[in-house]
Amino acid sequence: MTLMVMSGNSAQAYAACRARVQVIAAYPITPQTSIVEELADFVAAGTLPAQFVKVESEHSALQVCISASALGARTYTATSSQGLLLMHELLHWAAGMRTPIVMGVVNRSVAPPWSLGADHADTMSQRDTGWIQFYAESNQEVLDTVLQAYRLAEDPAIRLPVMVTEDAFFLSHTVEPVEVPDPSLVDSFLPARDARAVLVPGVPARLGSFTGPKEYVEFRREVAKAMERVPEAFHRIEQHYQSLTGRSHGGAVSHYRTGDADAVLVTMGTMTTTARTVVDEMRAEGNKVGLAKLRLFRPFPAEEFRELARRTDRIGVVDRSFTFGAAGPAATEVAAALYRSSHHPVLSSFLVGIGGREVTPNHIREMFGRLLAGKGPETRWMDLPPPAEEVAHG
Amino acid sequence: MGATIEIRFHGRGGQGAVVASELLAQAAFLDGKRPQSFPFFGVERRGAPVTAYTRIDDHPLGIRTSITTPDIVVVLEPSLLRTQPVTDGLKEDGLLLVNTRNPAQELMIPVPARRAVVDANQIAVAHGLGSLTMPIVNTAVLGALVAASGVVSMTALDQAIEEFVPARQAENRAAAEDGYHAVRMVEANMPFTPPVPRAVGPTPQLPEGPMATLSSELIHTAAWRTLRPVVHLEHCTRCNFCWKFCPDDAFQFDEKGYPVVRYEYCKGCGICVVECPPRVIEMVEEV
Amino acid sequence: MVKLTIPAPELMYSGHSACPGCAPALAMRLMLKGLGPRTIVSVPACCWTVVATPYPTTALGVAMLDNPIESTGASISGLRAAADALGLTDVHILGFAGDGGTADIGLQALSGMLERRTNAIYAMYDNEAYMNTGVQRSGATPLGAWTTTTPVGDGARGKAEPKKDVMGIVLAHRPVYAATVNPSFPEDFVRKVEKAAALRGPRFFHIFTPCPPGWRYPSDQTIEIGRKATDCGIFPLYEVEEGRYHVTRKGGSLRPVTEYFQAQGRFSHLVPEDLARVQAQVNADWQRLLRLESGT
Repeated sequence: MTLMVMSGNSAQAYAACRARVQVIAAYPITPQTSIVEELADFVAAGTLPAQFVKVESEHSALQVCISASALGARTYTATSSQGLLLMHELLHWAAGMRTPIVMGVVNRSVAPPWSLGADHADTMSQRDTGWIQFYAESNQEVLDTVLQAYRLAEDPAIRLPVMVTEDAFFLSHTVEPVEVPDPSLVDSFLPARDARAVLVPGVPARLGSFTGPKEYVEFRREVAKAMERVPEAFHRIEQHYQSLTGRSHGGAVSHYRTGDADAVLVTMGTMTTTARTVVDEMRAEGNKVGLAKLRLFRPFPAEEFRELARRTDRIGVVDRSFTFGAAGPAATEVAAALYRSSHHPVLSSFLVGIGGREVTPNHIREMFGRLLAGKGPETRWMDLPPPAEEVAHG
Repeated sequence: MGATIEIRFHGRGGQGAVVASELLAQAAFLDGKRPQSFPFFGVERRGAPVTAYTRIDDHPLGIRTSITTPDIVVVLEPSLLRTQPVTDGLKEDGLLLVNTRNPAQELMIPVPARRAVVDANQIAVAHGLGSLTMPIVNTAVLGALVAASGVVSMTALDQAIEEFVPARQAENRAAAEDGYHAVRMVEANMPFTPPVPRAVGPTPQLPEGPMATLSSELIHTAAWRTLRPVVHLEHCTRCNFCWKFCPDDAFQFDEKGYPVVRYEYCKGCGICVVECPPRVIEMVEEV
Repeated sequence: MVKLTIPAPELMYSGHSACPGCAPALAMRLMLKGLGPRTIVSVPACCWTVVATPYPTTALGVAMLDNPIESTGASISGLRAAADALGLTDVHILGFAGDGGTADIGLQALSGMLERRTNAIYAMYDNEAYMNTGVQRSGATPLGAWTTTTPVGDGARGKAEPKKDVMGIVLAHRPVYAATVNPSFPEDFVRKVEKAAALRGPRFFHIFTPCPPGWRYPSDQTIEIGRKATDCGIFPLYEVEEGRYHVTRKGGSLRPVTEYFQAQGRFSHLVPEDLARVQAQVNADWQRLLRLESGT
């Protein structure tokens, strides 16, 4: 184990290196670029004996990974924002082909107007492509989750692609201490890929194929069933990782002081760190507040939120993107999950940090304050001035 | 209020079955009805079996499924009677209309429905519609359908052809007129025995991904052809051109090196006939 | 015993779903005869997606991967990268794409594959339109051809633009080998494939594949039309190895292009003046090709 100060992008690259990926597809986009630069250095130095394919677009990057994975190789690529959107068609292909690709995604806002700031609209708009999605809070979590993602993706009962996302700049370009596990430890956690249902030279078989309506639904159901197996498989994988490293990031949903909380905020990514500190401060002030970090977004851990709803009367879901005509995407997912619950807490959707705006302690306090004051349910843009009628009436 | 009339067309890619189903709907509309027509959404290939549907009602239709219990089945190509379940679900008091010149043989199909035949190939060829190997028979068959069923008026069909057939309207109208007069009702020459329901196998176990591993030679494409190549071996030079140029790999050799046609796969394209240097292959009609 | 001029083993199965008289089916049959069983072929959306038959069957006796229409170049880069990573040193990687998937929507991925020197073969089977969707024009559709999106009428006379020079685009990337092949000349076809198979680096084939329904001719004429295309100079057979041109079929003087055009319904609206212009262009292109071969 080595403790190093590194960026989230370095954490992606180190994890791919420790995972002994065999094929890397590389295409630059801000703020992802340093991931593939660092991997290029690993390959050039002989540290990582991988095929480094310099593609002409993100679209081709993902196709390279799909085709390489279809032949049994362990593959990695990384992208962000517009690049992820260009991959859209191939995201479906990767999942339908059951190729266990792991991809780093730096969450960045989507043009127009051009903006480089952190925003979850890029990955949220790809949430129904059949990829497993993790959102990371810290660079350590980035590194650990990428390694866990390979175990999960290649699990014979899963065999689906995984994206591990990190907030632009707040992780991608922020350096902080990260423990890098030794190669031998990673090798024992993550052995070589047990390639199944892949193409074999000399063996006639067609991967992809085409069907009428008859088998198509069965194939889709197979993907859905694999998704249903993810929570249990991930729990097992993270426990194994913890037994080797002593570290856990708390499963699909990581709870902090929610046991007796009157109000709970649901957060994703880097805002969680700030929110945790505010929870401690507000607890010290006598407010029973708690925090649920949503780490695994796809498949959505609905049962965990039904469990949370039994313990608390007020839930605010904090989203770094929005769904037109509704609320934040995480908020709509939580609402859907709670519809099948006998407990229906007040559920508010808070939109904050969009386009790279800071999520400050004051934001967190204000959101908790609204929940504790009995306001809501509401959908509220926290970075914008309050609605005029609210100003008029106090 | 009359009941919905459901018509199912069976043909081959290139014969105009889909266009026939649309023309019938257009004609019904001209008669003041509320029709609906649509093809089976499969992959169309010239020569491959094609299914299309038409519904006709006095009122707007409230259903969008394929037709499984048709009142009328129209078969544009007689060899489909052997290879496709064209009469599945045909109502007992329904009508089976077949384009054939050989009714005695082709209508030994155990259905209780009334049967009509028309030699639409001959009509289409006479009017220069399509080619000898692939005549476009749809308008001649529609004329026959009008005579045998009265499902639309001949005036409406004539107008629909004039308005909606993209080319050679005069020839197509004449073909429909000829079909109208050439159709004949025939007696069944086999007693009806109810069909035994086909066994439904278990849902196949899917592999771990969309991986196909069986050979396409399980699929016999003989039903695509209307003519078959016959090799007159007495003049064959064993040059193997027939094998070399066959897109369906439908030739093999006997122990002496003479070509043997794999008829289960031959689609009847005729390349071997044209490319055979000594010209010892001929196409003969399927019977 | 019979004496064969092309390899006997069949790696394309019968029972496939190609139309009667399909030249792309012959193209695949000949390509795999030249490459052998340890080939992995990536096929984008094109006629061959359907020709290869629905699940659970396949019409190829080799490993086949489906990819979307625009990404064949990237797919074969990925397959080669995996083969290298996994130590599979004896496999041929083949991309087998239509003209739309190559000359139009797949051009970027093809260019990327050539530029990064992927050790693979890219074959474009050119039936000169989007045939799988029912005959719409592509960048490879020739001047004057009828398609459903270049109709013939009072205000339109088929495609108004000339055919895209895909070989020229490919050769600008300096591949190690590029060749034109035509199923009407199977010995030439297989010889070039076998030659390419022995080389390393990016290789390209432009395959001429007549289409009976799309070109509007009887299915028994496929080989004859392909032969006319080459012998009239519409589709000359040549190969370019490390920049050196070699014309592989020179039958004295060219046949008049009218022989080729008059055999197809898609050109039936063209008038003698149209064909005279085509003839002049074909003559010029042929002379240019001969000059490239002689290096003058």
